[in-house]
This record gives sequence, C-alpha cells and structure tokens, in this order.
Amino acid sequence: MKIAFTAQGTDWNAKVDPRFGRTRYILLYDEDSGELQVIDNSASVAEAHGAGPKTAALIADYDPDVLITGNGPGGNADPALRAMGIEIFTGAGGMTIRQAYEAYKNNQLRKF
Amino acid sequence: MREIVVISGKGGAGKTSISASFAYLSPPETVIADCDVDAADMHLLMKPRIVQQEDFYSSQEAVINPDLCTGCDLCYQVCRFDAISREDGIYSVIPLNCEGCAYCEKVCPVQAITMKARLDGQWFISETRLDKPMVHARLGIGTENSGKLVTLVKNVARKIAEKYNKDFIIVDGAPGVGCPVIASISGASFVVLVSEPTVSGIHDLKRVYDLVRRFGIPAGLIINKYDINPEKTQEIISFAQQNAIFLISQIPYDESFVQAQIRGLTMAEYGSRQIKKLLRQSWETVMELSE
Repeated sequence: MKIAFTAQGTDWNAKVDPRFGRTRYILLYDEDSGELQVIDNSASVAEAHGAGPKTAALIADYDPDVLITGNGPGGNADPALRAMGIEIFTGAGGMTIRQAYEAYKNNQLRKF
Repeated sequence: MREIVVISGKGGAGKTSISASFAYLSPPETVIADCDVDAADMHLLMKPRIVQQEDFYSSQEAVINPDLCTGCDLCYQVCRFDAISREDGIYSVIPLNCEGCAYCEKVCPVQAITMKARLDGQWFISETRLDKPMVHARLGIGTENSGKLVTLVKNVARKIAEKYNKDFIIVDGAPGVGCPVIASISGASFVVLVSEPTVSGIHDLKRVYDLVRRFGIPAGLIINKYDINPEKTQEIISFAQQNAIFLISQIPYDESFVQAQIRGLTMAEYGSRQIKKLLRQSWETVMELSE
C-alpha cells in the first residue's frame, strides 16, 4: 500500500501538516518497498488560488492508496481526492510522520 | 500551546469583539493573529506598533512589451475583464482590471505579453498595547484574498509562538465559509463559533459548523445579541444540543460594543459589569474545553 502524509519536514520525525492544499511537503511511504519519498509542494503553497486541487493533481501522479493528514482537505480538494479513490484519515495533527503511521496501523485515526 | 480560532460564518456577528476580548483576558504568553485580511479590524483595538513588515506577492498581472507588440488585437479579443486598452493603436494592460488569468499571454503570437508577480499587500508582525505580539496583514486595492495569505499569517504566528514558548494563539478568523475560513481553522485546537439570532446568522453558522465538524476540531458556541430574537436564539440552542456543540455563553445586545470600538477598547475593558463577567467566564470555559 502506498501511504501519503502531509508533512512539514522531509523525514519520519517531521510533524504532520494539518493542512492539505498548502502543505509544504507530501511524504509518500511505500509499504512494500519500505521507501519514503519526499514530494515538494511549494508550487501549490505559492498559488494564489486553487492550491487544494493543485496538490491533489500532484499526488495523483504517485497513485497513493491512503492519505493521512491533520484536519483534512477543503471543499475544492475533497472531490478531486474522492474521484481518485484515496482513503483519507485525519486526526494526525501534531504527530510525527512515524507516530501518525503507527496510529493509522492501530486504527486510531479518524476516517474523513 | 493551544490555538483558539474565532469564526462566525456570517460577518458582523461579533467575532472580532469576542476575539479581541479573549486577547485581553488571555495569559501574557499569547500571540494574536488577525486572519480577516480582507477587512482587518483587530488593529483598531490593539494599537499595533509594526516591528516587521514584508511584502506579499500572490496574484499576477499581464504586461505588454510595446517593442514586440504587432497590434494583432488577439489579446483584446480574448480578455474577459476589459483589461486591455488599445488607445491610438497602442496596446497596454489596465492593471486594476487585470485578473491575472494569463489568457492574453497564451494567445499572443509574438510572446509580447509576460505575467508579472503583483504586489498584493503587506503582512506585519507588531507589538500591541496588550504586550502580546500580533501578526496581521493588509491587502491592496482590488486584490483578492485566498487561503494563501491567511495561511502565511497563521504560520508566522505559530513560528513566533513556538520560538518564544507562548501558551496561546488567538486567531480572529475570516468571515464566510470559503478558503480563507478553511485556512483559518486548519490546525486549530479549538474553534469558538460566534452566532447571532438572525436567519442568515443561523444559516451561515450551520455551514461553517459543517466545516469544523469535518475537520474534527472541538467547538464551542457563543450566541451574541441573544435577546434581539428569543425564538431564533432557541433555534440556535437546539442546533447546538443536537450537534453536541458546547454552549459557552449568551451575550445580550449592547450598544456599548460600538462605543468600545470607537474608543479602541475591547469589551472586556469597556463593557458593563455583566458583560465583562460573561466574557471572563467565556474565556475561562474556552481554556477548560481546549485542554
């Protein structure tokens, strides 16, 4: 399974970003290969409008199965993500990426 | 460190009056963030002394290079915003009309049009008369808000709070239910909904609460001007009960809210004894609920 995290940093100790559209990074964890990929989202952060859909388009290319974030996508990103069939889990705000992954595995996160 | 965000849905319900009072009542280690950048008014009550000022670039505007322009008229034909002027055969962009959509740039056959970053406004870090720092912003004429500037203001406030070990960030949220509001509430520890007992007040309260609920952020409700319509107030109370929203307080209509604004004071300083007490209790409830 490929799991995407909204992140404020670039490694497992980084904090989960509560936002989706203007999250600084997306970290993509491939459970099969164990690889953690860093996707830079600064282009979306710099957008005046449409940051949500732009970030959704960005991660679509990587085809994640799950998205873990703090609060969740806003009204414009949400339909885009749903169309991609991604499962969204929230409640990870304030956790590190590692903690968020553990919480997800232990069913402690909220389904959006 | 807790982030308390005050929103209302409908503008004019008393959001800033409440958040400013909270800013007054909160412990000294507090950062204030005014995220209502379209119509900022926290500064009227906080008397900020600007410590740091930064330019904010967000949108773009088109610029026509007259040396390359062949006068083909294509840009004029595609522009939806009446932003191309062709006086005496000279083509130029009217900056105030230009929305930055870049349609003209795309169609220009000789690449005479480029998109330039537009200075949309400034953001500031200031010291306030409450001895609590405030992050705020001012948008330029005709420029638009989006989640971008609100996010920036919130991120700066958070950086200050983390660096100086502050206990609270109090955010005066943006009105409405759009992206600026979403950006205001992202990352909040607790949301205070300020409502008024009117038809549009209740309608917008429900819409904005829907946002808060989906984001999974705990929320409390203050009914402001509750005595102007007891029936509508009861409607709001029922709505709160049905949705497990904690009713923090009900504040009566009082013209001294306006007098306080004129004098540049918060109601926690200027209000009647009853209102001061209600505000103090409200803040204490918020502190309890946000733990």
